[in-house]
Amino acid sequence: MELYDPTVAGPERDSSRAPSLISLEGKTVGYLHNGKLNAINMLRETAELFAARHGCQIAPVYSKYNASAPAPKETLQQAADEIDFLITGLGD
Amino acid sequence: MPRDSARIHDVPDDLLAAMDYCYEQGWTDGLPVVPPVVQRVEAMMMYEGRPPETVIATHPATGLECTIHAAAVNAVMSGCLPEYFSVIVAAFEAMNEPDFNFHGSTASTGGSAPLLIVSGGVADEIGMNADVNLFGPGNRANGTIGRATRLILRNVFQMIPGISDKSTQGNPNKFSFCIAERARGNPWPLLVETLDYPEGVSSVTAFAGGGFFNIENHGGAAPEEVLGSIAHTMAGLGVLTLGQSVVVLAPEHMRILGNAGWTRERAQDYLFENARRSRSELEAVGKFRQQDFDRQRDPAHASPLLHDDYMHRGIGPADILIMMGGGDAGGHSCFIPSWSRARSSLMQSKPIGVCIDCD
Repeated sequence: MELYDPTVAGPERDSSRAPSLISLEGKTVGYLHNGKLNAINMLRETAELFAARHGCQIAPVYSKYNASAPAPKETLQQAADEIDFLITGLGD
Repeated sequence: MPRDSARIHDVPDDLLAAMDYCYEQGWTDGLPVVPPVVQRVEAMMMYEGRPPETVIATHPATGLECTIHAAAVNAVMSGCLPEYFSVIVAAFEAMNEPDFNFHGSTASTGGSAPLLIVSGGVADEIGMNADVNLFGPGNRANGTIGRATRLILRNVFQMIPGISDKSTQGNPNKFSFCIAERARGNPWPLLVETLDYPEGVSSVTAFAGGGFFNIENHGGAAPEEVLGSIAHTMAGLGVLTLGQSVVVLAPEHMRILGNAGWTRERAQDYLFENARRSRSELEAVGKFRQQDFDRQRDPAHASPLLHDDYMHRGIGPADILIMMGGGDAGGHSCFIPSWSRARSSLMQSKPIGVCIDCD
């Protein structure tokens, strides 16, 4: 008996991890707000810790239009162009 | 002959062993599946005019794609007959609309399940149930079309319970959640007749349903009484959000509205105006959100039916889909809230088996 496999192969993706930052000192940190109730507070306070401890600059907040959908490509591209590293989290 | 591009599993010619094999591969929803033998899958695809490699839905995060072929394999496994297949394809084309957000609604702790509502002649042609025991069990088309939806989410899109489906408590409708709109004795235009489709076309509407609330009212004799009990349920503190709603009126309730000359639009207005809670009631349970309150009052869409200092369910009356379904006897309608606290999934409709304004 021959059965078709009900799963599909995932797409081949050209992706790799960004190189680690050698130092956080003076870098620009951004945070991606997902719209959850407490997320922006948690992320802002976390970003402020980077500023206080490492002299980081805090970029304007980036936002997702929908907490449960992937961030728009243009939002991620903008962040990549403007900052050195990004933090995000649920904060739910 | 199997297709060259598809992966084939050779298993012994023993049906029960093949069913066990499907379990071992992790391909089931917990219930036994029909082994997807090549011939059955090919027969399923005969009911779709497009090539098997045609993509009907894509997962926005992983890039996994559901083709006609993959959908057919899972439809066979769920127990579908080939004549049901066009409904499944149209359902995934609806769920593939970005505003439906099938990834979020499936992955979320909220535990919603895609409710499929079939409207129009196709429902009768393939033997769907729009009548007594509407939400089942007992009807093959309703049961297996809904189940195929789940199997595709699981097998094609890898929305695996506990891994990528993180529902806190799950939802029995995740096994199957598919109904037909009842035409018999319906005083209102069918849902499909409210869409801009050519005459004779049927539709499927996908809605990320967050639960099921039975609304019993055997004493109400006026539209306001019947709808009042429904509005009260829709305004429950556990379900009052900016989200959309589905209300399935029992024929007994619908007759009260129809005999009084109430239209769907008037009923929508009534429910929207009355499904509301005061700011203080929401604050008392920690559920008042200023951003939702403000969004409901956005001048771009603020409804004139809004009451000062109250949160209503949804953005406006059009957020409430009202239809008729169920058996003749019984004052039992139901309300199905949408998934999510906000408006993270919006219902989508597609024509079945035809291509309208396609690329």
